[in-house]
Amino acid sequence: MAETNSVTPSSPAARTMRPVSEALLNEKWDHAISSMLIRSSLGLSFGVIFSVLLFKRRAWPAWVGLGFGAGRAWEEADATFKRGGVATAREGLRMVRT
Amino acid sequence: MTTQNFADTKKPNPNTKASINDPSPIVLPGSQTKTAEQPIPMAPGGVASVSPSFPSPATPSSDTTIPPENVPLTPPPPPGGKVQTAPPTSIPPTPPRRGDADTARPVAPPSGPSSSTTGPAHIPPPPPPPKKRRRFRTFLITMILLSGLAYAGGVAYSLRSDNFHDFFTEYVPYGEEAVLYFEDREFRRRFPKLTNQTHRPSVSDPGNKVTIPSKSGLTWKVADGENNGSDLGQKGRHMSALEENNVKAKVERAQQTPSNATAGEKDAAIEKAKKDASPPSASKPTELPAPATKSTPPPEKPKVEAPPSKKEPEKPAEKPAGKPAPKPVEEPRRDPKIAPEVNEPSVFMPIAPIDPLKIKNADEPLVQDLVKIINDIITVANADNASGKYSSTMKKAKDQLAVVGGRIMALKTAEQDAAKQKIEETQKEFDNAARELVKRLEAEMRDQDAKWREEFESEREKISQSYEERLKTEIERTEKLAAQRHHNALLEQAIALKKQFLSDVTSRVETERNGRLSKLADLSSSVSDLESLTSSWNSVIDANLKTQHLQVAVDAVRSSLDQADRPRPFVKELAALKEIADADPVVDAAIASINPTAYQRGIPTTPQLIERFRRVAAEVRKASLLPEEAGVASHAASWVLSKVLFRKQGVPVGDDVESVLTRAETWLEEGCLDEAAREMNSLGGWAGVLTRDWLGECRRVLEVRQALEVISTEARLQSLRVD
Repeated sequence: MAETNSVTPSSPAARTMRPVSEALLNEKWDHAISSMLIRSSLGLSFGVIFSVLLFKRRAWPAWVGLGFGAGRAWEEADATFKRGGVATAREGLRMVRT
Repeated sequence: MTTQNFADTKKPNPNTKASINDPSPIVLPGSQTKTAEQPIPMAPGGVASVSPSFPSPATPSSDTTIPPENVPLTPPPPPGGKVQTAPPTSIPPTPPRRGDADTARPVAPPSGPSSSTTGPAHIPPPPPPPKKRRRFRTFLITMILLSGLAYAGGVAYSLRSDNFHDFFTEYVPYGEEAVLYFEDREFRRRFPKLTNQTHRPSVSDPGNKVTIPSKSGLTWKVADGENNGSDLGQKGRHMSALEENNVKAKVERAQQTPSNATAGEKDAAIEKAKKDASPPSASKPTELPAPATKSTPPPEKPKVEAPPSKKEPEKPAEKPAGKPAPKPVEEPRRDPKIAPEVNEPSVFMPIAPIDPLKIKNADEPLVQDLVKIINDIITVANADNASGKYSSTMKKAKDQLAVVGGRIMALKTAEQDAAKQKIEETQKEFDNAARELVKRLEAEMRDQDAKWREEFESEREKISQSYEERLKTEIERTEKLAAQRHHNALLEQAIALKKQFLSDVTSRVETERNGRLSKLADLSSSVSDLESLTSSWNSVIDANLKTQHLQVAVDAVRSSLDQADRPRPFVKELAALKEIADADPVVDAAIASINPTAYQRGIPTTPQLIERFRRVAAEVRKASLLPEEAGVASHAASWVLSKVLFRKQGVPVGDDVESVLTRAETWLEEGCLDEAAREMNSLGGWAGVLTRDWLGECRRVLEVRQALEVISTEARLQSLRVD
């Protein structure tokens, strides 16, 4: 995880708004990891709250919340990775304005 | 007016004071006694007794008697006021009864007047009528007084108020005169200087009356020319100022005639004079009185004398034979002022107690006048037959007159001498002046002559010079003309010779041409061929130049691309190239094939490309083991596994990602960008996606290189084509 993060800044693509093609994958990785962290922490916190409020401080609601969050982030990252390959079909062509 | 009336009437009643105008409210008893005493001293005497004593209406006495009784009864103010202020005004209404008026003043006791009118106061009934009358009288008096006061007030007020002044002068009789009088007085008081001279001639200034003499202006009389000359002697109008001369002429004529003429002539002259004299004599009586009326001192004498002179002409006419004709003739003649002839007949006059005066030098008018005066006196004396009385005095007078005449003549002669001398002197002066003038004129004439002569000479010289000049020019011109003509003739000859020469030459050339000069045509054709050749060569050279330029431009682009250490735009170089290509279709197409971003942003150099390839290769290796539709897990797995993959070297054979990458790398290291790009393009999936950008750059570089290649080959082709 740490390597991928360090690789992306070395990409020279700062001129165009679009990320350079070789950095696409790294970007996706970044996005996936950050969302994983956030969503899992969110789920965890919700679980903790639920456990405190409803479940008399049981441990499992917290874990369930964490699971939910991590699962959601995983699913999103999976979708983006899969879609990324398909989306490339368009990008090899040069668009000429008529 | 009415208000005033009331006020006036009322005031007297209180007895304390009468109206303002009346200074005598003192009608009261105490004062009354005083007044009564003054005018009528005798009254007290007869206080009691007079009334019976005087039966006649001597009222004053009765008045005094009454006061003691009636004083307390009635104190009517009007009578008292009337008496003191204006007795004369009060009188008119009762002029006959002055006594009554007087009686009224002493306070009009009822009994008093009755006694006065009727007589002694024994009858009671009378009182009523007197009362009436008195009432009427008092009314009248008061009315008059009031009207007088009103009049005075009106005048006074009209002096102040203009409106009232107009009204007063318009409607009140004599109001205007009164107001005018007062205004005039006021004016005089203010401006005592101006009073008489200028503005007020009407104020009776009898001193400066302008009197117009009765003779002035036109008269009905016809001016008689026979008046023996002038009326200049008289005062007043004159008929003509010229007549004096006529008179003189007449005198002279009359003078001459007697001395030179024969007796017959004399008679004729006398007759004529008679005729002449008669009209003046007729006119004299009419005229002479007029001057007399003029009130001027001199005419008085003539007036006294005139009647006799008037009579004289008549008298002689009446006297038939006793007095011979000469006398009547003489006197009228003498009147016109001829003395010398007069004396002769007068000497011979039979009666003539006193000789009329004769004086030698009577032609002097002054003397003549004197003589005339004396003669008139003499004639008067003669007519009165009192010649004896005055003869001595007349003689004296005559002698003195003669002396005076002599003196006058002496004076005259002296004056004449002086005048002659003066005339001579002036003549001399004139002569001198004239001589000088003549001299001056002559000198001037001489000067002018000399001047003119000089001018004439100079003019002649000028003219002669100009003529000479003209002549010279004429001669020159004629010479020139002649020369020109000669020249022309020579030229004509030369032309003719030239023509001959030319014809000779042409004939010779013709003959020659057929021989040598026929080859010239071939020469000229070969020269023209050469020219065309050179021109064609020129075009070739031009084309070469063009191609050279093109090549240079292509080299510039290439060098700029090669030497650049980082991507740099080369738009300018391309533009220059396109311009130099001059719309070459091949070049245009080549340039159009280049991606615009390539020359706008520049193309990466080969080292850059290689470096980037390495980065891309690392990324691609990570994704090299991905299956189709890879999720997160597969990605992570491929990333982890890619770390443990073996690196290949050289040119491996195979379709997997690792071998492709190594082949591309080797191609790149060899500098074959095209092959490397081809290898990389064969990748698919995530690997293809990741290499996309690098591939694009490679393509651009390749395109540029290809275009440049094409252009350079085109240039080379063109240069080849020319040949």
